[in-house]
Amino acid sequence: MSYAVGDALPPFVVESASPEAMKAWAVFLADPNPIHLDVEVVKAKGLGDRVINQGPMNVAFMMNMLMAAFPGATIEAMDSRFLDNVYGGDKVTAQGAITAVEGNRISCEFTLDVAGRGAVNSGTATLLV
Amino acid sequence: MSELAFPPAPNVAGTSLDGTKIFTISLEENAALCRSTGVEPASDGSAHPIYYYIATQVAMGKTVAGVCETCEFDVEEGPMMGSSGVKFTEQLMVGESYKVTGEILSLVRKQSRKLGLMDVLTYRLRLHRQADGTCILETDNVWVLPRKELAA
Repeated sequence: MSYAVGDALPPFVVESASPEAMKAWAVFLADPNPIHLDVEVVKAKGLGDRVINQGPMNVAFMMNMLMAAFPGATIEAMDSRFLDNVYGGDKVTAQGAITAVEGNRISCEFTLDVAGRGAVNSGTATLLV
Repeated sequence: MSELAFPPAPNVAGTSLDGTKIFTISLEENAALCRSTGVEPASDGSAHPIYYYIATQVAMGKTVAGVCETCEFDVEEGPMMGSSGVKFTEQLMVGESYKVTGEILSLVRKQSRKLGLMDVLTYRLRLHRQADGTCILETDNVWVLPRKELAA
């Protein structure tokens, strides 16, 4: 498989951010922050009217996009910036492009976008292919 | 109003986040985590790479609330993730056990046009294989701690 600067990475799509997954991640992260679990708490804090996805799950969506784009590759480094929240029910798409190819090292930039609201995360990564 | 009008952020740089817990990535949890994000677990024994964040958070020496408390910030006020970076030297593996070392790098008080007065917390964690102590990844996390009470 050959890669070139500018190649688009196939999008990774989550049709609907799942409140059930947020409950599972509260256990994975040992973090029972109620903004991920209880709509009433989100409303009371003035943060919206749906539960909020844990930030690390957003990073996992972007990692899934990278791993699908480069089968068998490993992530060497990754940086993620958190720009906004993903809410329960949001349609989420991770997508990006190759920015550098140096031997077996591929650099990429990418975003996680919510339908109708734009980028909620952005990031860069290098992978060893 | 400039940051100079407010007291400085607590001096917490250098605070140890070394953990005593051992974090083991179980086959069952890795599978559940992968499926919760829409993918199947890898067949080569590697764990989902997002365990860089989960393992270091769960096994560091303080809870998230405890880190906030060190920064004289009530976790109920809502810390926000700013950024997270990781450098791997090895893949995370299912069935492997890990321990954490780390420290707070800085806590800087800033005025943001969007968020108002806030403290920006940066901390670094390293994940070591329990069996031989090898460091397999290093992660820097940045959290934003809104300081509404100081700006009031």
